[in-house]
Amino acid sequence: MIRRYWKFLVPAVLLLGVIAVLLVNLSNNLVYFHTPTELHHEVAPSADRLRLGGQVVAGTVTTEGNTLFLTVTDGRETLDVIHSGVVPQLFDEGQGVIVEGTWDGSKFHSDTMLIRHDEQYRTEDNEIYDTINHELEES
Amino acid sequence: MTATIGLLAILLATAASLVLIVRAWRQATAAEPDASRVRTPVLVMLSSAAVAFLMLEAAIINDNFSLSYVSANSSTTTPLIFKLAGAWAALEGSIVLWGLVLALLVYFVSRSVLTNDRLGLTAIAVMGVVSLFWFGLMATVANPFEVCTELVGGACGQTSWLPFVHTVAPIDGIGANPLLQNHILMAIHPPMLYIGYVGFTAPFAFAIAAMIRGEQGSVWLERTRRWSVIAWAFLGFGMLLGAWWSYEVLGWGGYWGWDPVENAALLPFLVATAFIHSAVVQRRRGMLQAWNLILVIATFSLTIVGTFLTRSGTIISVHSFTQSEVGPILLGFLLVVVISSLALFAWRSHLVSSAPRLDSIASREGVFLLNNLVLTVFALAVMMGTMYPVILEAMGRARVSVSAPYYNRVTIPVAFLLLLAMGIGPVTPYRLARPAIVWPRIATPIVVGLVAGAFAVLIGVHSIPVVLLVVLGVFVIATIAGELVRQLAKVEGSRPVAIGRLLRRDPGYWGGQISHIGVAVLAIAIAASSGLALREQVNLAKGESATVGGYCLVYVGPNSRTEPNRQVIGAVLSLRGADCEREIGTLEPVFNSYARPPAVATPSVHTGLTEDFFVALADVPGDDVSLKVMIFPLMWLLWTGGMIAVAGGIWAVYARKPERLRRAQKVEVDA
Repeated sequence: MIRRYWKFLVPAVLLLGVIAVLLVNLSNNLVYFHTPTELHHEVAPSADRLRLGGQVVAGTVTTEGNTLFLTVTDGRETLDVIHSGVVPQLFDEGQGVIVEGTWDGSKFHSDTMLIRHDEQYRTEDNEIYDTINHELEES
Repeated sequence: MTATIGLLAILLATAASLVLIVRAWRQATAAEPDASRVRTPVLVMLSSAAVAFLMLEAAIINDNFSLSYVSANSSTTTPLIFKLAGAWAALEGSIVLWGLVLALLVYFVSRSVLTNDRLGLTAIAVMGVVSLFWFGLMATVANPFEVCTELVGGACGQTSWLPFVHTVAPIDGIGANPLLQNHILMAIHPPMLYIGYVGFTAPFAFAIAAMIRGEQGSVWLERTRRWSVIAWAFLGFGMLLGAWWSYEVLGWGGYWGWDPVENAALLPFLVATAFIHSAVVQRRRGMLQAWNLILVIATFSLTIVGTFLTRSGTIISVHSFTQSEVGPILLGFLLVVVISSLALFAWRSHLVSSAPRLDSIASREGVFLLNNLVLTVFALAVMMGTMYPVILEAMGRARVSVSAPYYNRVTIPVAFLLLLAMGIGPVTPYRLARPAIVWPRIATPIVVGLVAGAFAVLIGVHSIPVVLLVVLGVFVIATIAGELVRQLAKVEGSRPVAIGRLLRRDPGYWGGQISHIGVAVLAIAIAASSGLALREQVNLAKGESATVGGYCLVYVGPNSRTEPNRQVIGAVLSLRGADCEREIGTLEPVFNSYARPPAVATPSVHTGLTEDFFVALADVPGDDVSLKVMIFPLMWLLWTGGMIAVAGGIWAVYARKPERLRRAQKVEVDA
């Protein structure tokens, strides 16, 4: 009988161990996604990496060397972004963007700007912005 | 007219799959089964699927914009090749191609069903159920032949499922998706993936049939071996093409981003790889029978998970899931498949499987077990990374994404263990491996691997994972080469003839070894291209030059032109040696804008023996240009390794054994 229990217990414990290790690894590599409104009201400034999604406000984009200054909006509130790093080709005023970096309480410092594709072969940021808009309309 | 014929064909295929289920099941349970009874519904299903596909192609080629699918995915200026590929560019059309591939598979499988073959007939019935689902989906919520009944602002505003109504057509379509028509690879990549996805229906159907019939043994495995391997090879090839496309088109300087869409294809591929290996253990040693059933159910379920993830919009946001009609249906189908297969497994698997004990962990079976353990844990890790954000968002918590370091951290140890198993396993005997037998076969390869690692360090590679992967990769290749030489001693003929004979003598084993060489090459190339990559942002004025990683890059000037289907804005660059004198080549990264947004930036790549020089535009070029410059070592080796791995699978299935050997084996089976 005891041997029968071992047969199931050992793999079960090993599996749980593996899952636990993966979960720890996972939680260390999560990047939370926020809108400007959420950052202003719900998120405390910290050194944690975050993603910010929104639409680039027309007329706010300026460059200084390799640094890009822009303001994004979710339709409610705006947030200034200081982006140092590669700017994707599709970047334009009035377009949706996702930037990744840190939030200091007044400005967002990003080093990564994302353009990714989905199965609809559209840029994901537009999609997400549409979704945000959609949610805002609903709420 | 095309819409009417197309829809009728889909309805006919749906009806045929229904008839197929009933007939196949009746014959499977009849006192005297007659397999010829299923021939008619199979042929009707195949021909109507083909007609539906051809009608869709005809509508696209003829610019029949009264079909909303055509106006959304093609236009008068779309080049013919991308019009043709437009048939599988979006959801509805891709399901038509999917249905055609499935119908072809059912046809080929049904040809192997002999007259009183109850297992085969039951499997055909299971495949009929799967066909019914897909054709039913086409006939209802994913109808590609929906027609336009009302125009709003020149585009299709109102659609009708019924094609008999009065239709209107926009003057022109929106055009093919820019990312799709930007590169020919995107036309080939999806069909390859579909063949892979669909192919796993065959082993799944036979596994379910074996459980329903309570047939013990490995007959279901033997009969579906070729389908599993073909599906595996196509899925791998499809992923390789997708990665290549991503590298050539997207311009972010990579080929794999751990994007959920990519993971969706990787998941069934990983589990299928585990299945192909554990199937060998069952065929040779009769072990792991229940485990194989689980793996094949998991593989098939994961192909549906993949379709669900990519097609329902769930990845973008859980909230868009409810907006798509196919999402909930695919999820429902997935649940039905998983729950009914597992219930069947719990209820009947004891009839199918008996488990001989493992003699010793130090045996080839033991190494196969290690392979399976590593692959399934890897699949679990990828699954968790892909699904965690989806689940978190569905629970109303935060929107998160899992960043690449999570996957990379898991992948590196997985790659080490897999390569280790790959090097040792194939030269380890079954049952019990004595060190005295195994050691001489791996001793020299270990030395060769270490020498290669030392060489890598000498030429300036200091990343520990990269060096370790080089050591292990070369070790794998050396072991296989050693085994080839060892076994060649037993074969007559001159070198090339003897190698040909040897590889054909056991195509399964040698096909596998060819794949292993491909994977080892791939591992080394991935390590080198990602671990040793150089990325820089370069700004140049006209005529100015910059030195990047031992090259000299000169901005010649902007170059814009109008092509029939697109506007091209490019920057002409001259790539030269470090002295800025000797010209290596001309590079022209461009922005392509099509009728429909977004504009696509296409990088320009110079492929050399040791590295790729990759340039993409970071801004619209003018008197000065802003460039993303990247150097990736050994990229050509990456594509080559992937192709070798796929070729191994094809060899395992299609290499013909020498006539003499086949006869001998047949006698053995008959006896």
